[in-house]
Amino acid sequence: MEITAKELLYITSRIGSMLITCGAEIYRVEDSLYRIAAAYGFSGGEKRIEVFAIPASLIITVNDGDSPPLTQTVRISARGTNLDRVDKLNNLSRYICAETPEIREIRKHIDEINGRKVYGGTVRLFSYGIVGAVFSLFFGGTCSDALFSGIISMIVFGVSKFVNKVKPSVFFQSLIGSVIIASLSVFVSKLGLTESFDKIIIGASMNLVPGVTLTNCMRDFIAGDFLAGMYTLTEAILVALGMAVGAASAIALVSMI
Amino acid sequence: MDILKEMILPCVYSFIASIAFGVQFNIRFRHMLAAGIGAALTQLIFTGFEMSGLGQMICYFFAASAVSVYAELMARRLHVPVNMYLVIGIIPLVPGGNMYNTMISLVGGDIDSFSHLFAEAVGIAGSIAMGVFAVSAIMRLIRMITKQAV
Repeated sequence: MEITAKELLYITSRIGSMLITCGAEIYRVEDSLYRIAAAYGFSGGEKRIEVFAIPASLIITVNDGDSPPLTQTVRISARGTNLDRVDKLNNLSRYICAETPEIREIRKHIDEINGRKVYGGTVRLFSYGIVGAVFSLFFGGTCSDALFSGIISMIVFGVSKFVNKVKPSVFFQSLIGSVIIASLSVFVSKLGLTESFDKIIIGASMNLVPGVTLTNCMRDFIAGDFLAGMYTLTEAILVALGMAVGAASAIALVSMI
Repeated sequence: MDILKEMILPCVYSFIASIAFGVQFNIRFRHMLAAGIGAALTQLIFTGFEMSGLGQMICYFFAASAVSVYAELMARRLHVPVNMYLVIGIIPLVPGGNMYNTMISLVGGDIDSFSHLFAEAVGIAGSIAMGVFAVSAIMRLIRMITKQAV
């Protein structure tokens, strides 16, 4: 199946940007796009494709040998983790490599993946609560610590959903989250409901803490994507700093009351 | 009683927490059980290595390698990306609490414990990443050899 450079640019940029948005690893994104292009004959020499991806943007240049090269950049502003979509996109790119279908069909598949359901608000709310409660137990908290940690995590989820409407930076998201966590935890322990507040804070913070981000950044570094690694490392450090500033100032202020 | 408290309970916590994280990462329901078992297994292996008195970083390395093998095998069997089981499986290991303590000591002005904890957090993340990478490189090699043999 023959395909024009423009069509190839369209499908690779859509699939690539969706993969990055859903939290796929950068080297996997580049690898998938090169494979898709190779399946349509853009595998090197005159007809080739160049892909450069970092977590914030995707640059693709398609060269078909006759006309001037075509380039598209996609700016990626919001990223999350949606492993279900990554799975389906991987299946799609494997299918494209095996069957080289028409572009109309690929577009239909991409739209289908885009419309796949995500978990609803209530389920997510409870997942935040469970993470908070369980990690509070994990770090040696008592049952009442776990209970309050779960409740506070749910409150943070509700508030952050509201705050995210103004699209704050990751630093402010974590700052606001940890201010809520720390002030409520200190308040609860002031009321005498629990003995200490640090186990509540550490449990509820687990929803915000960038542990997975830090590990992913190390994986980027080892894979050789230094720019992507630096980007995620900076993000992880900023999120952690936001949490620390928020928690420390909230503890200091609420303890004074 | 002691063994229950030190080995089994953390596994149960990891199992529940990783399933809850699975919801946040949008994993379909049918993959959740396997991913949760992976996380519990990781925790069990990690506690086992830690009790045997090995160094901290090497424990993380071995536990991450073990969960990578599990993720590779499950991904092969169920035809999903390895990352799906890996991201959930390493949740008990990732230095979340460590990062938190690091930053708290920074804001508190305690530079000594900040530099200590920060180096530890980066070291843990690096060990996990290396464990994951070693396994995926070996798996790629095995796949290449078996493909050529056929």
